[in-house]
Amino acid sequence: MKKIVCSMTILGALTLAAPAHAFTLGIIAFQMSSETHARCANAAADEAKKKSWTVEVLNSGGSLPTHAAQIEDLIQKKVDALIICMGKPVETDSQLADAQKAGIPVVTAVAGASPHTLFDVEVNEFQNGAVAAAYLLSKIDYRGNILEERFEQNVATRERDKVLDAVLSENQAVKVIGVHTMARTKTWQQDVRNGMHALILQNKGNVQGIWASFDGQAYIIDDILQAQGMKKGDVVLVSLDGGPETYRRIKDPNSLLSATVAIPFEQIGQTAVDAVDKIVVHHVPKQQLASGPYILLNATLVDASNVDTMMKP
Amino acid sequence: MSQRVEHTLACYGTAIAAAAIFVLFAVAAPNFIHISNLLEILKDSSFLAILGLGFSLSFVTAELDLSFANICSLAAVVTGGLIHEEVSPWLAVLAGLVTGIAGGALNGFLVTRLKIPSLIATLGTASAANGLAFAETGGVAFVGRWDPTFLGVARGSVLGIPNLVLWTAVAAALVQFLLTATRLGMRMIFVGEADEAARLAGVKVRWMKFMGLSLSGLTAGFVAVLLTAHLNSAAPNMAGDFLLTSIAAVLVGMTMFQPGRVNVPGTLLGAFMIGMLGNGLVLLGAPYYVQDILIGVILVASVGLSAATLKKAAFGL
Repeated sequence: MKKIVCSMTILGALTLAAPAHAFTLGIIAFQMSSETHARCANAAADEAKKKSWTVEVLNSGGSLPTHAAQIEDLIQKKVDALIICMGKPVETDSQLADAQKAGIPVVTAVAGASPHTLFDVEVNEFQNGAVAAAYLLSKIDYRGNILEERFEQNVATRERDKVLDAVLSENQAVKVIGVHTMARTKTWQQDVRNGMHALILQNKGNVQGIWASFDGQAYIIDDILQAQGMKKGDVVLVSLDGGPETYRRIKDPNSLLSATVAIPFEQIGQTAVDAVDKIVVHHVPKQQLASGPYILLNATLVDASNVDTMMKP
Repeated sequence: MSQRVEHTLACYGTAIAAAAIFVLFAVAAPNFIHISNLLEILKDSSFLAILGLGFSLSFVTAELDLSFANICSLAAVVTGGLIHEEVSPWLAVLAGLVTGIAGGALNGFLVTRLKIPSLIATLGTASAANGLAFAETGGVAFVGRWDPTFLGVARGSVLGIPNLVLWTAVAAALVQFLLTATRLGMRMIFVGEADEAARLAGVKVRWMKFMGLSLSGLTAGFVAVLLTAHLNSAAPNMAGDFLLTSIAAVLVGMTMFQPGRVNVPGTLLGAFMIGMLGNGLVLLGAPYYVQDILIGVILVASVGLSAATLKKAAFGL
């Protein structure tokens, strides 16, 4: 019984802690255990707190039914606006329509457009994929063998991988001698390790470049390569996403990670909050912020030449 | 404590805790008590409840089905894939149900004919179902603007009551009828409680277990259809998270009404309790990580009220 009383006390405290009439922003991250989702959602939350808004951050845990239920929950809560990081607007079309019907403006981040949302704050992943692919090929002089670590279950990585295919189709002197496609999402590190370890062993000494569709994969591949005794420059390892650990590796003389395309996830979250602030709080017409369904931000290619700039706080 | 109070707590302790939490949310969480919110909780709990009812049917025969969530995802992908190809929605629904029952029957075959323990057999089936779902989709969800009639199966309502709630009621009534009013159901329970005695009494033990696992698969197929219609999409891992929560709903349900035994009202209340906690904590504004912690603490604390009975149940199992 004491436990029940204790739980009730905590719940009561939570209720009392909420300011009475503050602007309430709901933020849903599709998979908070993914670093990129967390960076976007946390940056949005921090930005909203700077404006003294009440913020509620939810984690859908990568589950579509949970994601849909959480949107409905925040509609019931009557939040003033909703930001969804890396959500699934097509799959949650019905819930987003409910939000629109309830007069709750929704901004999505790196999710795709929907007729029921204001717009999506995005980076152009096709462009990012092209930049990374062109960099990889240029560093191996447009000839030789490469390995690929792909991820088909995520829209962004899938787009990057498809662009790599297109770039490779125009560079016939580069051969893909091994592909591993990450299949699991909850034990993905082990999946990548097993797959790439086998490919690297199989093709040792015969690989000039390695493509990883996101940085998390590249860290694992980098560790495998280092464990094999390889040195920077032996193999060109390129991936995408960016972040402190990536920059540390690019700068590290022992690491084989050569470059990344840094996606401004924090800026994406902040831009989404600014958009809500302008449109909902200050009643700026939506068209003044974006003429279409997207606000596109730029990504940056980061390698040894500019990594110091990126590492500055 | 008097024997009467002890008995009440043992039978209704978890239900009393659920009622207390309900009252707390009603008082503290804005909009919680609003009818549209309560219907949302019922809708969100419906998948858990129906999958839990299916799991119960294998559990009463003393077999564990750990594959139902992945079979559900596979059946959803089959249903969604066919609808995406513009096959008749009703044929797609049938295909989803057949996929579910086929997965369940495979489990039944592995357990009753090949004598593979259900824990291992269903884990194997789960893995295979997961692989097949990814093979079918390539990891990309089927989504589109599908036939409104099909979507209405899950999204519609009758007299203001969401179809998902009605389907849950129908499933619960059928399972209750099966377990309490049919010879098949009673034999399944008999087999689960004392299979050797059941065998000696002439009950076809293997057939009962086969039925339990097959019906669990059929239920997974049914939820797959509802989930696909509700979300207007079918993804290869869309039901994965229901595995533990549905089992939790059944286990929480076993602490009330008929302590230590799988029972339909308990499973329904267990699912509702899990749904209510998730919804109420969102309305209260609890941070997402606190929500996970509190849901765990509240479930354990609630079930703790029936601890004495639980111990007896554990020894009984």
